[in-house]
This record gives sequence, C-alpha cells and structure tokens, in this order.
Amino acid sequence: MDGYLGKILNVDLTNGEIAEVTLNPDYARMFIGGSGLAARYIYDLADADTDPLGPENPLVFMTGPLVGTRAPSCGRYVICARSPQTNLWGESNVGGFLGPHLRFAGYDGMIVRGQASQPVYLLVRDGEAELREASHLWGMDCYQTQETIKEDLGDPSVRVACIGPGGERLVKYASVIAGKGRAAGRSGMGAVMGSKRLKAVACRGTGSVPLADRDAFDEIARETLAWVKDDVSTQVFNQTGTAGSANLCSMLGNMPNKYFTQGTFDAVDNISGSTMAETILVGTSGCFGCVVQCGREVEITEGPYQLERTDGPEYETVGALGSMLLIDDLAAVCYMSHLCNRYGLDTMSTGVTLGLAHYLYEEGVIESEDLGGLALGWGDPEPAIKLIEMIANREGLGDLLAEGTLAVARHYGTEEMAAQVQGLEVAMHDPRASSGVALSYLTSPRGACHNKSDAYLLDIGRTMEDIGIGLVDRFEEEGKAALMVRHQNWRSAGDALIACMIVNFPVDGLVEMLGAATGWDIALDSLLRAGERILNLKRVLNLRWGLKTEDEKLPGMLLKPLEEGGTGGYVPDVERLLTDYYEVRKWDRKSGKPTLEKLRELDLADVAEELY
Amino acid sequence: MIKFATDEWAKALMEKINESEAYAQAAKTWEGDFYFIIEADDKIPEPIYIYADLWHGKCREAFATTDPSAKEPIFRMSGPVRNWRRVIEKQLDPLQAILTRQFTLKGDMVKVMRAVKAAQELVNCTTLVPTEFPE
Repeated sequence: MDGYLGKILNVDLTNGEIAEVTLNPDYARMFIGGSGLAARYIYDLADADTDPLGPENPLVFMTGPLVGTRAPSCGRYVICARSPQTNLWGESNVGGFLGPHLRFAGYDGMIVRGQASQPVYLLVRDGEAELREASHLWGMDCYQTQETIKEDLGDPSVRVACIGPGGERLVKYASVIAGKGRAAGRSGMGAVMGSKRLKAVACRGTGSVPLADRDAFDEIARETLAWVKDDVSTQVFNQTGTAGSANLCSMLGNMPNKYFTQGTFDAVDNISGSTMAETILVGTSGCFGCVVQCGREVEITEGPYQLERTDGPEYETVGALGSMLLIDDLAAVCYMSHLCNRYGLDTMSTGVTLGLAHYLYEEGVIESEDLGGLALGWGDPEPAIKLIEMIANREGLGDLLAEGTLAVARHYGTEEMAAQVQGLEVAMHDPRASSGVALSYLTSPRGACHNKSDAYLLDIGRTMEDIGIGLVDRFEEEGKAALMVRHQNWRSAGDALIACMIVNFPVDGLVEMLGAATGWDIALDSLLRAGERILNLKRVLNLRWGLKTEDEKLPGMLLKPLEEGGTGGYVPDVERLLTDYYEVRKWDRKSGKPTLEKLRELDLADVAEELY
Repeated sequence: MIKFATDEWAKALMEKINESEAYAQAAKTWEGDFYFIIEADDKIPEPIYIYADLWHGKCREAFATTDPSAKEPIFRMSGPVRNWRRVIEKQLDPLQAILTRQFTLKGDMVKVMRAVKAAQELVNCTTLVPTEFPE
C-alpha cells in the first residue's frame, strides 16, 4: 500500500492489550490521512453518548501519506478525539518529529481507548509497542517528562509527546507537548490523555515510507522545496517567527487587545517577532523536513523572567499572553508561554481565559479575595503568571478558569462576554477584522479555530489561484462564503496529508507528491473533494454530538464595533454569511445537516444513513 | 509630469518623502537603504535601479541608475513596471504584491515586518509625484 505503512496500532489501556490492525485501504483512499482518516475511525468507534473524558472516547494519533517523506514541511501528525472543551469534534495537529518516527516504526496511526489503572506511557519502536509504567512521571511537567523518558530508555533520540499537570488535572484546554514548544494545543487533547492516565507517547523508528514512484516523488519534492524556500513568507517566518506578523496584524485590527475591547496597542512592537529577533533570540528550530524553521529559541539573562535557552512564543501566543492582557514585556510573555508549555496548557485558550478574568476583575465581578488576594491589572504579568499556575494546579479560582472561557462566563452570568465559539476560545484574529475569519470561526468543526481556514493570510494578500482564490477584500461579504468553502476544503485536504499550514506550498506540488507517493491517479479536484468529504464527515459527527445551528454564533462582545484601529468599525453580518455558506455547502440551514444529495455526491451514503 | 524611474523622478520622490509628516512619524526608527528595481521588459530596455537612503523618517539621498553596483543597499525590491504602476496608483498593496510574488523583496525581514505603517506612508508619498509611465 504505497504511501502508507498499512498498519494501525489499537491500544486498549483498560486491559493493556495492543494489537496491529490493517489500515482500511478504502478509508485511506477516501479520507487520505490526518484528521480525515482519524474522523472516519472515530465515526465508527464513538457514539452520541461517548464521554469526552470517559474511557470509551477513542483518542487517535494519525499521520498522513506525506509524513516522514522528503515532502518539505509535511512532518506532522494530529491528535483527535471528542473534545472535552467543546463536546464536539476535537483535533490538534502538531509538528516536531514524533509523527515521522511513528511511520518509521511501521505505523500510520494509533487508536487509544480505555483507561489505565495506573499512569502509563506508550512506547513504539520499530514494529513493537508496549505500555510502560509511568507513575514516576505523573506530576512532572512536560519537559521533565520528556527528559526522564529519554533517560529511562537510554535513548536521547526517542521522540516524546506528553501531558503535564494540566492534562493530569483535566484542564479542559490541556495541550500535548512534543519536544520543546511544539504543542497540540487546541481542543483539550491533553485532558483526554489525562483521563486515560496516558502520560506520554514515545516513538523511535528506523524504517522508511514506501512510495509508489520514488524518483518522481523526489523530483517533485525538490521542486516544491525550491518554491517554498524562495517564498517571502518562508523568509519572514524564518527570520522573525510567526510572531513577526504581530505589527501587521495589529495594524489591521486583527490582533486582539485588552480582551477584544480595544482597537489598538501602541506597544505591540515590544512583543513582536522582530523585537524578539533583535533581543533574546539565540536560535531557531524546525520540524521534520522543514526549511522554514519558524521555531524560536530564546534566552533571557536579566530581570525577573530569566530563562535558560528554551522555546520562544509564536504569534498566537504573543497575542494571547501579550496584547490580550496589554502586556508589552516580551520577557514576561516568553516566561508565561514557557510556563504554559511546561504545564501543558494551550497558550491561546489560557490567554483568552485570563483576558476574561481580567475583564471581570475590572468590572468588579471577580474580586481580589476570590483570587486569594491577587490584584489583576492590565499589563501586569505577575498576577497573570500566578493565575497560570493556579489553572494548571486547579487551585482556588484556577479550578473554574481551568474549565475555559465559556464556563467562566456562564458561572458569572456573562455569556455574551465569552470570547469563544462552540466553547473554543477565539484565536488571535479578531473576526471584526475579516468576514472570512468570522465565517471560519462560525463553521469550523472545532469552534473558533484559525486553522480550518486561515482567512487572515488571504486578507493580507496570499492568493491561491489554483483553487480560485485571488486577492480578497477582507470586509467584503458578497461571495465570501463560496471563497471560504473552497479554502476550507483545501485546508481540510492539507490537514489530511499532513502539510504545515503556515507554509505557502505550490498547490500542484502537494497534489503531485500525493500521486507519486500513493500511485493514485489524483488531481486537484479529487483532493479538494476529499477535503470536502472530510469536513462533511466531521459535521455529521458534530451533529451526532449535539451541534445546533443556533450555537453557530459570535458572542455579543465580538459584535460590538471597535471605534479605533484597523477593524474600521466593521462587524460581520453573521446571518448573511451563514446563510450564504449553508447554501454553498448544501447544508440545511435549520438542522445543520448536509443534504442527502451532498452526502451521496461525496460517497458518504453509509454516513447519510445516520441522518436520513 | 515626471517620467517614471528617471533621476528626476527619484529626486521628486525624495522631496515628497521629506515633506511628509506621516512618513516621518511612521518611519522614525527606520534605518535602511533600498534599491527599488524596475525590471527590464519591452518598455524598459535594461533594469533601472531607484536608490533611496531612508533614515529616521527622512530620505537622505535618492537617484536613478542602471548600474547595479552604484550602491550596496540592504534591501532590494524588484518588479515589472506594470506592477510598480499599480502600486503607485494604489491599485495594488505592496505587501500583497510581495506575498503574491508580483514583487520580490530581499533583505532583513526583521526590519521590514515592523515597518508596515512606514511602507504604507512611503507608497502614499509615491502617489504625490506626478508620474508619467511608459506606454
């Protein structure tokens, strides 16, 4: 089965049994890999009553057909399950090296079910998998855990993805950390691991990925690499990290400030990737097979937030822990980011939840005595740092904050002030700066996600002529739904391969590499169709899990125009955007269901039986 | 009207830059000289290099040359005349043009990424030069 290893590991933590199963080739052909393939397996294994934090929730680690090959910037994997944060579809894809090593060890993916009686970690090495006792790791932070596993195994090259105290304590937005600073952050996959008492996954493999036409593949990969290397975004992200876009995003009103209540942040440059590069940057890092090297390595030798050489923040993090709280001290932002990574907390959801806490404090809803004497202040890192620790340890009000922004807002009766959609905190792209971003948040399978369509990159000028996306007007709503559907379908396909989202790939390069890897006669249209199929499958899963169209909305706070800054006072017309979107998708506006016609068109007749 | 990409045009641009309060404010920390390169095509027989020494919100020197070795600027932004015209006539955002490969930009991205407002104001200055483009 070219392009695939052809095997999936089935792990039952309850009885400790591990079995190899053959990858379903029909599923591979239809859903390709990544979160598409994972969705198909989860569709078969989870039902409407699956408790996100119960043993029955299948936790899937999945790679794609380009992972572990010479395809540039495709060394990723995805972790999927029903999300404890949204109760809907959960997925988080991450770079690093574990995905390729899972493939080198002989597997395309792993499906983990059950719950271990004691903490364990899963070790996969060259065709062998075993569960190892991990009680000694429980309580360790993510970096200690990785180092200890490597020491225990006597293998510094083993690749580890693990949870920290956040995941152990079932913080709803707990992340899975792989290496230093590579996070599967969104939708609480760390909490799912914690609920299963699965502390870590460790992989090491020495094999290779079978390719249908290796020579052709290598040639296309070389051409694609040259194209990527030459792209200006590669140069920007290499030199400044993704945080290099902070000034631009801030100017456009895209980067949120003061919990989405302020249109500008004059001090944004203090926390930008440019400032990082000129002050505390001591190196860069990258994922398997990636020339972009967007990872930041920083060192802070002076002041209260000293850090030995370690991970530095990317754009979403400088937004969430910086401008969101009006913190302009880059060292403090780095320290907070590092703390989140050590504890295993999603920096984005953490930052937004902290933002709400600050807002409620300012409004007098939360008082200092509720916080054990802490006095919150915009721009003050100290209490924010303490709050991060309280969240990770579920200490005091941290126990409530660990439930996420929506839960906190509901607790205080201020739901319209919860910056989230479907329970997932809004990413660092204000929907008032872009109708495309708004629509992406409203319709993403996992809530207010910035990855299912990175419309903000289209807004600043990235075009994709091959899929019919030219220059866009970021505030225009006419025709935006059709454009977003095409872009979401493309991103959905990319998430199946799995290709890094920030890299500006030549579209034909990815299509041709997939063809050369698998031997499939595949064209762009069929890849886009696979992307659409995957999104429709996730939609059916979400309907199974209780998705209601009335919940596809922006909170009131994000429908209030900002008088200053780059949003220009724009507020998206949610109903118009959604009505257009449903029409293009051929989904029923009232029930949210894909039409029977659409499901059949996408060869999802068996899935349609659940709805019709 | 001043013919585009001539030495007279470069000097006129320098004047507009130095008259602009908005540019002075947006680029007050900018340090870096440019070659704005107009690529050769059927209207431009050989590449033209517009040199501009931009320093702390002012333009210290500007000229046009066909000799690429005249200066060693730290930034080089290059594109065909039709794209320069669209930028100067504000039909094309320069950042969009770079991202969509209608221009290439070589140089220190660390500086560029914090100068987005300055870039906007610089384009505004070019629009103030009464320009005659080759037909």
